[in-house]
Amino acid sequence: MTSPTTDYPGVAALVHKHLGKIPFTASKHSTDAVIHIDAGHFLELVTGMHDRRELAFDYLRNVTGIDLGEEGLRCVYHFYSFKHGHAIQVDVQTPPDNPHIPTLTGIYAAADWHEREAAEMLGLVFDGHPNLKNLLLDEDVRIHPLLKAHPLQKMELEQGIEDTSAGFKF
Amino acid sequence: MTVWPEERLATVDSFNTVDMTINVGPQHPATHGVFRMVLTVDGELVVDCEPYIGYLHRGLEKLTENHDYRQSMGWWDRTDYLAGMACEFAYCMAVEKLGNIQVPERAEYIRVMMAELSRLLSHFMFFGAFGADVGSFGTSFVYAWRERERIYDFFEVVAGDRMFPTYFRPGGLQMDLPEGYEPLVRQLLGSLEQGLEDFDGLLTGNEIFVERCRNLSPMSKERAINLGMSGPMIRATGLAHDIRKAEPYSIYPNLKFNIPVGKNGDVFDRFMVRMAEAYQSIQIVKQCLDLMPGGLVLNPDLPKTLRIEEGECYVRTEGTKGEYGVYGMARGGNKPYRMKLRSPSFCNLSALKEMVVGHYVADAIIILGSLDIVLGEVDK
Repeated sequence: MTSPTTDYPGVAALVHKHLGKIPFTASKHSTDAVIHIDAGHFLELVTGMHDRRELAFDYLRNVTGIDLGEEGLRCVYHFYSFKHGHAIQVDVQTPPDNPHIPTLTGIYAAADWHEREAAEMLGLVFDGHPNLKNLLLDEDVRIHPLLKAHPLQKMELEQGIEDTSAGFKF
Repeated sequence: MTVWPEERLATVDSFNTVDMTINVGPQHPATHGVFRMVLTVDGELVVDCEPYIGYLHRGLEKLTENHDYRQSMGWWDRTDYLAGMACEFAYCMAVEKLGNIQVPERAEYIRVMMAELSRLLSHFMFFGAFGADVGSFGTSFVYAWRERERIYDFFEVVAGDRMFPTYFRPGGLQMDLPEGYEPLVRQLLGSLEQGLEDFDGLLTGNEIFVERCRNLSPMSKERAINLGMSGPMIRATGLAHDIRKAEPYSIYPNLKFNIPVGKNGDVFDRFMVRMAEAYQSIQIVKQCLDLMPGGLVLNPDLPKTLRIEEGECYVRTEGTKGEYGVYGMARGGNKPYRMKLRSPSFCNLSALKEMVVGHYVADAIIILGSLDIVLGEVDK
């Protein structure tokens, strides 16, 4: 992973050409070009990427939540365009105390379950999602297992690795 | 004959009908695993459907984050448990992308061969289970199990295990194919071809089957894309999209095969696409045998413990049910920082509500069957 620059690699340059008014940085990793953006401009960017005929990102293929510790939570989106055959990754970094991201369910029906999964696993909040209840976990548990602070198993608690953030006591 | 009095007949129009709630699953043969859906029905018509998943959630991603790169192989086998090798393929490719690890050419050919045999296995199980859903009772299921056993026998010869072989390794394969494998595979392919023809005769040529599936729950290309569908589900709508061609990986560019597509995305098209795809897979395996080079099957330069510096990747493969993607993030050390599975069954299943509302209860079961879900993959 290279650090973000104002030099736009691959498909990110195309996005910048058509949506230049939206501030974002870009980088590239082994498989895709990456756009880094904050939650405030995210919905505007995705709407543009979906609606512009030159970009036409009509397919939301994946949503991943990541706990980056002190940097806060990050949500990684992967888009694909069936029309042009190009793909891009969009990283939305949220501040540590404010894990809010606007929902994409209004644009992509596929976002529904992806966002519910990221919400329950990491505690991300997708503003405007119609039904943000637990999907894979039990409906009434309020734990976020994919946070790094969450122990893998009970043994770790006994070894003294305490988890205070999650509200689940074994 | 009962003659109804006039005053009683008059009340028929003002009958209060109440929607009924039917719980299907999680322990129900028609849900293909531990899937549960709550149907609200008005008479025979489904008016609402609420799917519940997670009964098989094993914390795949948390486990992967907490184990050595090679240790995690076993979890990934168990996602799409009808095609364990195809899942290993995607996971190993993600590790190789992160660590920039080269794979010998012979290993790539063997990988593709095993992945395509897994696809055949998965599709055979679909034909069997789907036939049972539609009402051919046990016959199609027994046919499917016969073919499945043949493929598993070959897997056992190669890797020593049937369902969860953990045969792949980052950088290649656990071991080379056994001596004399080629006649075994060719014999297997012959019997699989015969098996496909049997299914063709049993199901495709059956008028009852065709009438129940044709024009049931059709779907447009645009809607399928918006719902995040992939694999045979999206090809049934007429979109010739296959990741093996659109974003080729491994040695697929060297192989010749076609992308079968449907017309209007109904249940029958979904079945036919898989049927045609199975024939294509047989052709791919034959080409792999013909083109198989010699040499090593495992990169000899790998250290005992894989340690990977910073990196990210999103590997997409054409899994048996659709786009099987793995997003990986490494930040040093012998464990991945994050590994996310984008499972095709999960995405296809999320469209279930839209597909079954407005259909009969019996058809809802068929529509669910036509999605070809594997709950290990949905629940992670």
